[in-house]
Amino acid sequence: MRRLNPAAILMLVPTHLLLLVVIALPSIYVFWLSLNESTYGSDLTFVGLDNYVTVLTSSYFWRAALNTLIVVNAVVYIELLIAIGMAALFLGGVRYPKIMFAIVLMPYAISEVVGVLVWKIMLNSGSGVLARTIESLGFGMFNWSVSPPLALSVVTLISIWHHLPFTFLLIYAGMLAIPKSLYEAARIDGATPWQEFWRITLPLTIPAILISLIFRFVFAFRLFSEVWLLTAGGPARLTEVLAVYLYQSGFKYGEFGTASATGWLMVIGSLGVASIYLWAMHRRMLKGND
Amino acid sequence: MTDAASIVLPNMAARRVAGTVRAIVRTLLFVLIIVWSAFPILYVVLSSFKQQKEIFKYPPDIIFTPTFEHYMALATKWTGFFPTMANSLIVAVGATLLACAASILSGFVYSRYANRFLAGSVLYLIAIRLLPPIVVTLPLFPVVDALKLSDTHIVLIVLYATFWVSLCTMIMKTFIDKIPRTLDEAAVVDGATTMQTLFRVIMPLALQGVAACAIFVFVFSWNEYLFALIFTTQHAKTAPLIISEVMDAVSGTNWGVLFAGVTVQLLPVTLLVMLAQRFLIAGLTAGSVKG
Repeated sequence: MRRLNPAAILMLVPTHLLLLVVIALPSIYVFWLSLNESTYGSDLTFVGLDNYVTVLTSSYFWRAALNTLIVVNAVVYIELLIAIGMAALFLGGVRYPKIMFAIVLMPYAISEVVGVLVWKIMLNSGSGVLARTIESLGFGMFNWSVSPPLALSVVTLISIWHHLPFTFLLIYAGMLAIPKSLYEAARIDGATPWQEFWRITLPLTIPAILISLIFRFVFAFRLFSEVWLLTAGGPARLTEVLAVYLYQSGFKYGEFGTASATGWLMVIGSLGVASIYLWAMHRRMLKGND
Repeated sequence: MTDAASIVLPNMAARRVAGTVRAIVRTLLFVLIIVWSAFPILYVVLSSFKQQKEIFKYPPDIIFTPTFEHYMALATKWTGFFPTMANSLIVAVGATLLACAASILSGFVYSRYANRFLAGSVLYLIAIRLLPPIVVTLPLFPVVDALKLSDTHIVLIVLYATFWVSLCTMIMKTFIDKIPRTLDEAAVVDGATTMQTLFRVIMPLALQGVAACAIFVFVFSWNEYLFALIFTTQHAKTAPLIISEVMDAVSGTNWGVLFAGVTVQLLPVTLLVMLAQRFLIAGLTAGSVKG
């Protein structure tokens, strides 16, 4: 390990300049904005916590917060269960592994826009290939555009489809790292594959599961495109999530103050989840440096 | 098969049946995974080669005579499409180069130098990328406007690169950590400068990390929607944005053209991800599991 010298500091400049100018300073400035009233082309007027009061007494905000909470939890946990199942399946041996991984990774390469477009068309009531299959099975019209719970289920579905490759790879990498000798020992003792999964695979994958859980919580919290492109928050603002609520108040109604207050509430929510992650990472780093 | 149970014959037959059942269930599950992952994408790609009246036929034909009419129409009828593809390419390449250059330099410093500031700023690097990106759009919007950078490639390049530069720094650090320090010490003894050490000794051995970073940034920038929606209106508009606009306005005979455009947008980067899976997996484990 070398001591930091001027040349090394210079090499850090591009990364830290970008982070400072694009993320760190703006996030601090958002806090100042949230204490002011402001709109397009007008000066800031200091209003204290008024914007927070406005946001926290808005029924649209609470609707968006509730929707976010439900969708994020549904996405993260369903995705995790599927990923664990898939990883266990792959761990038991897979033919043509390269081709299988290539196929599993496909949704990762797709833009959110295209993902929404494809699922929207397939689930379009009356004409979409999946909607018609559901309808022909006798479930009635699959009319998600007028039913907020159905619309949010479609959002959940698209989000899971999109991010499953990421979670699957994290969990699978965790499972691959389990020493083979443990399975050999278990087999000599006559363990069934079922027992192997519950007694060895799952407990030893817990660290990877925790990391992907926290990762996915933080990223799922940002949910915007799927909702915006599918329903734009409608009908009657019933399917908004926090990021859509922020976008509406900031860029549609031009209320930068309330939008900033929403932004800070999102940051606080995000950091709440993230602090658990950071704490775990910090402990890991300390252990690594000893 | 040396355990006691398999010596008893009826049990062995039962086990064989159980084994066959398990093999069938496993195969079915793999088929399900393939359908889930690939069907939506194949549906669009195949539809783009279908006659207009066949696209929404139910049940859909799997075998049909392909037509290229929608691809012809893409160039003639949807004139706005290819310029946005060019914008996407410029922005994605630009962001990839910027993020990789910055994170090679900083990843090297984080791997090879020790300092209290460095140790502390690792936490800052991780924490800062957890902020929801939409939050910074509010203060950046007027600044970008005042700097006359609204609707330019530069805004998107800088934004995309910044949102990846911290993760890429950690990925580069992890890859450079694996290279023995004795190599750069030897280079320094031979009189190499820090830059020469980095580019002649370290870089050739850390190319896998660079590839991983490049793929992450490229795929993200190629597909990004939120920043493009907020910061571009016309000149710098990217392909996902124009697809989203057309998607809401499309009617009647234009579905085929839209599908053709979507296919052109998704195919190159899907192939890239499928072919470069090795780097992707290596980068993912380096960036998240190890920290």
